[in-house]
Amino acid sequence: MATIELRDLAHSYRADTDAADAFAVRDVNLTWVEGSAAALLGPSGCGKTTILNIISGLLRPTRGQVLIGGRDVTELAPRDRRIAQVFQFPVVYDTISVAANLAFPLKNAGVSRAERDARITEIAELLDLTGVLGVSAGKVSQADKQKVSLGRGIARKDTAAILLDEPLTVIDPKEKYVLRRKLRQVQRELNITMIYVTHDQHEALTFADSVTVLDRGRVVQVGSPADLHADPATPFIGYFIGSPGMNLLKCAFREGALDFGCFSKRLSDDTASQIGPHGPELNLGIRPEFVETSKEERAGWVCMEVRLVENMGTHKVLTLGVNGLTIKGRAPDDTSIAEGASVWVDFPEDRIKVFKGDEKIL
Amino acid sequence: MGIVVENVSKAFEGEPVLTDVSFEVTDGEFVTFLAPTAEGKTTLLRILAGVERPDSGRVFYDGKDVTDVAVQERNIAMVYQWFVNYPSMTVYENIATPLRACPARLAESDIDDRIKATAALLKIDGFLDRLPAELSGGQQQRLALARALAKGADYIFLDEPLTNLDYKLQEELRAELKRIFETREHGAVVLGSPQPIEALALSTSVGFLHGGRLVQFGATDEVYHNPCCVDVAAYFCHPAMNLLDSRLVPENGTLRLVVTDELRIDVTEFRDRLSEEEYVLGIRPQALTMKQEGEVCLPVRARVELSEVVGSDTELHLDHRGTSLISWVQGVETFAPGTELSVYLHPHRFFIFEKESGQLVAKTQKD
Amino acid sequence: MKNRAWLFLVPALVLVSLSAFIPLMAVVNYSLHVLVPGSIPKYVALENYAEVLGDPFFCGAVKRQFCFTFQVLLIEIPLGLLVALCLPSKGKGLTFCLVLLGIPLLIPWNVVGMVWRVFTRADLGVVPAMFARIGYDYRPVEHAVDAWWTTVVMDVWHWVPLVVLLCFAGLQTIPDAYYQAARIDGASPWATFRYVTLPRLRYVLIIAVLLRTMDSFNIYSEPYVLTGGGPGNTTNFMSIYTSSQAIGGFNMGYGAALSVVYMFLVVMLCYVLYTLMLNIGKGAEPA
Repeated sequence: MATIELRDLAHSYRADTDAADAFAVRDVNLTWVEGSAAALLGPSGCGKTTILNIISGLLRPTRGQVLIGGRDVTELAPRDRRIAQVFQFPVVYDTISVAANLAFPLKNAGVSRAERDARITEIAELLDLTGVLGVSAGKVSQADKQKVSLGRGIARKDTAAILLDEPLTVIDPKEKYVLRRKLRQVQRELNITMIYVTHDQHEALTFADSVTVLDRGRVVQVGSPADLHADPATPFIGYFIGSPGMNLLKCAFREGALDFGCFSKRLSDDTASQIGPHGPELNLGIRPEFVETSKEERAGWVCMEVRLVENMGTHKVLTLGVNGLTIKGRAPDDTSIAEGASVWVDFPEDRIKVFKGDEKIL
Repeated sequence: MGIVVENVSKAFEGEPVLTDVSFEVTDGEFVTFLAPTAEGKTTLLRILAGVERPDSGRVFYDGKDVTDVAVQERNIAMVYQWFVNYPSMTVYENIATPLRACPARLAESDIDDRIKATAALLKIDGFLDRLPAELSGGQQQRLALARALAKGADYIFLDEPLTNLDYKLQEELRAELKRIFETREHGAVVLGSPQPIEALALSTSVGFLHGGRLVQFGATDEVYHNPCCVDVAAYFCHPAMNLLDSRLVPENGTLRLVVTDELRIDVTEFRDRLSEEEYVLGIRPQALTMKQEGEVCLPVRARVELSEVVGSDTELHLDHRGTSLISWVQGVETFAPGTELSVYLHPHRFFIFEKESGQLVAKTQKD
Repeated sequence: MKNRAWLFLVPALVLVSLSAFIPLMAVVNYSLHVLVPGSIPKYVALENYAEVLGDPFFCGAVKRQFCFTFQVLLIEIPLGLLVALCLPSKGKGLTFCLVLLGIPLLIPWNVVGMVWRVFTRADLGVVPAMFARIGYDYRPVEHAVDAWWTTVVMDVWHWVPLVVLLCFAGLQTIPDAYYQAARIDGASPWATFRYVTLPRLRYVLIIAVLLRTMDSFNIYSEPYVLTGGGPGNTTNFMSIYTSSQAIGGFNMGYGAALSVVYMFLVVMLCYVLYTLMLNIGKGAEPA
């Protein structure tokens, strides 16, 4: 168990580091405390796999340092860092049994036979693998293979952290839930640092207590799942997290109100003073679930047409529009709002987020 | 007008894949066949398209028997899970292929117009001179859809087209599919999917396949609110419906279905339909809430096993005295596994299924 | 017609029947007769086969053949794998090595025999000169041992590149993740080889072994040109014996019987090796 720190990390796969997009990752400063359940979230190509490989030692960074437990390990080989990795597809030694797989790292470290056997029994019980210990690792299910992969990682008691690279990619949909639960359980029981890398927000937000969002090689935001959802630092995060993503509307701040072209919303003095100094060109962000709708006309609310109603089972997603503006809103699953109807829409002030370009203002 | 399927059956190497499947798709409909993977959806779609021949039964397009007609001679289009496009042709050429291959010789200018219109509809008109390999997954799938639409085929078959896309892309394309297919003047669309959300969001009618049989077929709302049996209810619910074994217990003049001491529902209003001792109680996850709402809800204490964040909401997996429950909570709520909390059961939102046969016995109006 | 596609197979089927199936049936037919050019074939049922099984020359050739094949496999497969492991994984160095390795494979087989005859000529040859340096009296024409091992070395020189190329292609298909996992697990190079490389190369090695078994069992041109089967019967392989009987000895029926038994032996050997290699190290099944 150890704290993992990345200082001023940058990496380029290209020889010339002067070009604008030469770096796959840059300006990365992250710290994960002992026992963290963390996630690195971002779309494909954002650099998360690069960071993962730098932490595990399979890649040497162009610049910056990696510290494990306070020690600079940037130059150390993977086997000396005591970091385990679980890959996208199960990596097992398929000619030997599950038990032999779990024993493999212990054997290489010179652990005695008795100790090895005790440890294997312990791990097998934690991971529900006791029943298949004697079976050849190539013959068990994909989910079990991933557990074996994980087991090899936690076999050595001095493992500093476990890195998981989209581990549920090839798992049967029915077994994904079981594995997700098991990963969370193992993390809590062993209180071991686990860093889960994925492009899937469902997996990241379910597993981690602390999520780091990456986009095009840079860290955009670090926070708990609730924080990222309620308080996104950029419009991109607002869009990426949540389903449907946050609505983003262009507006201008004029005379104490936000002007959307075809309507405007008055703001309280408090809010207006916070936004005012940032000038006219702004973006308003509001999550669909916070958009308020009403069948009756209300003062200050804007009338919109219901262009599309999507039934999601637990609720309905409405696509509302007026002139050129389109937003999404939500309604309960037993709502009677139908396509083509008119509804009155408001954005409650305590739920709106205001951005200027990529920066959050409110 | 429309597709009529009569008693279609198909077996592979002795194993029956489809048994006695019959249904009708009227013009203008969007039908989804819902089933877990490998339960016959793909086979059914292939038979409908004409790529596969049924062992028995007939398929009619617009009243004409097409069971023995080869797929090349039917006017249909198909989109697959795996973004199938011609890799060596540009986007423009890809969309042009079905137009150039069709028997009615179209003028080049007409073809050009159609290609540009279809590409604009699918928002790939900025990539007309690129190769499929240069496009992202979502764009490649849009291209496959464009090829299918450009043809102007009467019937379009989609086999899990969104499965291999990122969840955000799935979300986008789902909304677009609805928009795109609504612009067509005639014809029907048949979609095969394992995800209930696609059925709910996109289709006018739904068919549920289980064990090779068409267990239920009808208007989406109808099937969703009135599942005929446990299998349909369990699968056609997102998140999965809570199915609880319960005992029928008379109590002070009322009748209750009891799962545990805390989890008991008043079913007196259905007294005349309930004659067995045991039933399966179906409760949708949204009927188990975190707060008391409106009607007096019954508190149920449970331990959190995992709180899964799905989109903007949370699926709370709970353990209540050994029974697994799923509760749907709006918003992102993370609870550490092991947390003890109370959820509230809505007393008037449930389904009652027979234990043996799984058939629906009774349900409340609200669901 | 629904499956017109099957018609595309007809030309291939015709070719295979003409070049393989029909001649095979013809040979089986000959083997049941006494067939000497100029006279009428006489049907003798399985008499030829009885003679084959009792023929001391035949038995000698069979023993020699098995010996040869096993020795050659034992050297070529590990050596080929070793060389493949040492090849650079990409770049100009790789291209150079691949070209160098390809050269022996491109030479017509009887020319290979010729080349080695020149190598081993007492007056001009490189090999005798080398042996003279270390004081060994190398005489392939007279000494059985010398002739045998020269034939083996010649075969290794000729065919190891094939094994190298197959193994190299196989190595390219092993995903990096496996080596990464082994590094993270602290595995030694030998352990990595044993638990990652070898299992992943199973099928490639099967192909290499089967190909080499069949080809070395059928070896003909190279030893025929190099030694003519001599000295004595030292390198009188089955193929050479069969052809000398059938064509040299004008005993076609007997030669045909020899061929059939020969083919049967090759097929059996391949089957055994294939089954063995497919199942080694597969381990226990789940319950």
